[in-house]
Amino acid sequence: MFRRFFRHIREGFVGFVRHIGMALSSASAVTITLTLIGLFLVLTFNLGALSLEIEKSISMTAIVSYDASESMISNIEKSISSIDGISSIEFRTKDQEFDFYNETYPEMAEFNETYRESNPFHDVFLVSVEDGNEMENVKAQIERINGIDSVEDGGSNTYLLVNILKNVRIFGGALVLALCILAVYLIYNTIKITIASRETEIWIMRNVGAKNGYIRAPFLVEGIIIGVAGAIIPIALICGGYYYVYEMIGGVLMGFLTLVKPYPFAIFLALGLLGISIVVSFIGSYISVCKYLRLHR
Amino acid sequence: MISIKNVSKTYKNGTHALNSINLEIAAGEFVYFVGPTGSGKSTLIKLLDGEEIPTSGDVIVAGTNVGKLKNRKVPLYRRNIGVVFQDYRLLPKLTVFENIAYAMEVVDAPADTLRARVREVLKLVDLSDKSNVFPTELSGGQQQRVAIARAIANRPKILICDEPTGNLDPRKSDEIIQLLEKINKEEKTTVLIVTHDTVIVRHHPKRTIALESGHIVADINKKEDF
Repeated sequence: MFRRFFRHIREGFVGFVRHIGMALSSASAVTITLTLIGLFLVLTFNLGALSLEIEKSISMTAIVSYDASESMISNIEKSISSIDGISSIEFRTKDQEFDFYNETYPEMAEFNETYRESNPFHDVFLVSVEDGNEMENVKAQIERINGIDSVEDGGSNTYLLVNILKNVRIFGGALVLALCILAVYLIYNTIKITIASRETEIWIMRNVGAKNGYIRAPFLVEGIIIGVAGAIIPIALICGGYYYVYEMIGGVLMGFLTLVKPYPFAIFLALGLLGISIVVSFIGSYISVCKYLRLHR
Repeated sequence: MISIKNVSKTYKNGTHALNSINLEIAAGEFVYFVGPTGSGKSTLIKLLDGEEIPTSGDVIVAGTNVGKLKNRKVPLYRRNIGVVFQDYRLLPKLTVFENIAYAMEVVDAPADTLRARVREVLKLVDLSDKSNVFPTELSGGQQQRVAIARAIANRPKILICDEPTGNLDPRKSDEIIQLLEKINKEEKTTVLIVTHDTVIVRHHPKRTIALESGHIVADINKKEDF
């Protein structure tokens, strides 16, 4: 059992070395594909994190009518709390709003103070939602509450940004999947050529009664070796590159896009790329060798 | 040992390779299959080897209906059969010993049994002194001996040889047939030889089945004929 296992591993390596030229050309094709997959994974994860960050920070301001009584304000708070998808509610009095405005624009504070007696601000509720997609729905429900004058949010641009980020993530995911299929195809073709060049060996195995699993195993090992060999450069390039870029720009891109911290992200990325390479190379070589064995009884 | 009953084989392209063949071969027989190209000899071998399935009829080998074997059972069935081809099909990067051992390794033969058996078959084919030589350093006749040794290493019940002398001169051909006769006698292996070579058939007369256009047109020197 162990003898056979190690024999398959050895045969896989022997096959890899014996067809080194072809194996390396296939591994380099896998390298290019995995590098692209790695880049898109970095992009997708960072956009995902950014998207979540934006969604979390999206809040709306429910403006309370000037004439709302304290009991009415209390009822408004209860009504808002009962809406599904609310993550937090914060009440601010009109005076707090006035102070906040002055803190935000300190150069105008002195001038603004002349208006404190006739404070034009409203009492407000700052409402955050759990999911950016629920913004419109929550907004509509708050607007219907008695005592609310209006609800202000980031406007349609905020939704647009959230949706764009979501679509970019979906597109990135689809692209990663397409590149995985391409890698499967590359491995498939290499193993097909390997099988053709080892037809005599396979013929002997078949004729002396080796089981299909036995014939298949070295090719699967060889395919996985090609996949792993093809993953070394992308892992070093993407993970090392990501760490370097992160350190170089201080983790913030273009002044506002906060990147995911390299640790433990780079480790997961490396394991992910290695996992992808093993899975795609296994699938590619499995399809190839099974197709051959099916053709021959 | 081999019972072929009403076997016909038509390929997907419409070629009728065999037409209602009936044949009985006893264990330990030595049989030649002769006939022109396209007569159905190779198809018959493929049916016996389990590589092809008959369109109709039954191919029964050692009690196994080969045509009805499930694909996953074919490898185990093949351990009963050794095959030798005209082009030897040796692995050039392995020595003579390793070439023979390879056939035993892939069916998980224990290491000590393997070494002893390889030495035994090397002695049988008279190549004990060429154990560590590579196939390319051997003559055609010697390469064919290695191929035969490999085919019998796992002690198959049947040895099928497809044009085993096709690439050899008459003297070497004669030696190969003598070797096959020896294997037939000493190993009690049923030997089936497909050949165009009428000279060897005349020099080593045995049961001879002639095929033409997928039909058996002659079956001479059957055991009851002796």
